[in-house]
Amino acid sequence: MALNPAKVGAVYPTYRYEVAREKIREYATALGESDPRYTAEGDDCVAPPTFVAAFTITRGALDLFADPELGAHPALVHGSQRFVWHGRPLRPGDVLACTPRIASITARGRNEFLVIELDCVHEGSGEPALTAETTIVFLGSAPQDGAGEAAA
Amino acid sequence: MSLAVGDVLDPVTQQSSLVTSVMYAAASGDYNPLHYDPEFAGQVSPTGGPIAHGMYSMGLTSRMLAAAAGGPEGVLELQVRFSKPWPLGATATFSGTVTAVEDGVATVEVGGELEDGTRILTGTARIRA
Repeated sequence: MALNPAKVGAVYPTYRYEVAREKIREYATALGESDPRYTAEGDDCVAPPTFVAAFTITRGALDLFADPELGAHPALVHGSQRFVWHGRPLRPGDVLACTPRIASITARGRNEFLVIELDCVHEGSGEPALTAETTIVFLGSAPQDGAGEAAA
Repeated sequence: MSLAVGDVLDPVTQQSSLVTSVMYAAASGDYNPLHYDPEFAGQVSPTGGPIAHGMYSMGLTSRMLAAAAGGPEGVLELQVRFSKPWPLGATATFSGTVTAVEDGVATVEVGGELEDGTRILTGTARIRA
């Protein structure tokens, strides 16, 4: 079943994420990072840039994929990813408010491309923290009754 | 530290394995069994076996960028495409070349390549020069 092009522009509920020191350490260790600030015990602790994957990619897609009107299915791969970091690196204790939005749904060949835009701001201050743009490729579900784009 | 057009960043080379994949799954919260379960991967993987998370390759790319930019605060933007799968057991090298510098910000073309020349990642970054 193809994705529903009427869902382009849909905004999903904002969720919270609280940055924890031990989670930063775990993430940095998984990447073999050596910057001592990633494992620091004090106020100088910061997160590596792609630490944000821990609360954007999978978490950001959960509510979308649970939406029965979208038509998501399990045959998918992560096609591309963009992060824009605004301001300072994340620190333990930061609380973020993240809002997912469907930016586009397009078809190419037999596959469909779902682009999810996620804006995360610091809770309280509203200061921008990061923007994530995730492209998920749904394999084999593109409508085959014509050529080209399912939606824009 | 100062970056100029044509500069080549210190590359990051890493062999993927079940251990790196399980560690990245736990750290990132992406538990898709495609990345560590040989039986599941045998049914759905394009390579017939487990493959590394795309985000693991992006993470290693950002490790290279942060080292060149003086820390994570120097990494402003990174956009990548996961062009081919990275089979567990294969060794990949992530590299970057500065293609422009303007107003203290360097544009870096980044790539990830297996030893057989397969390009698993391509992209562009903006980092503090």
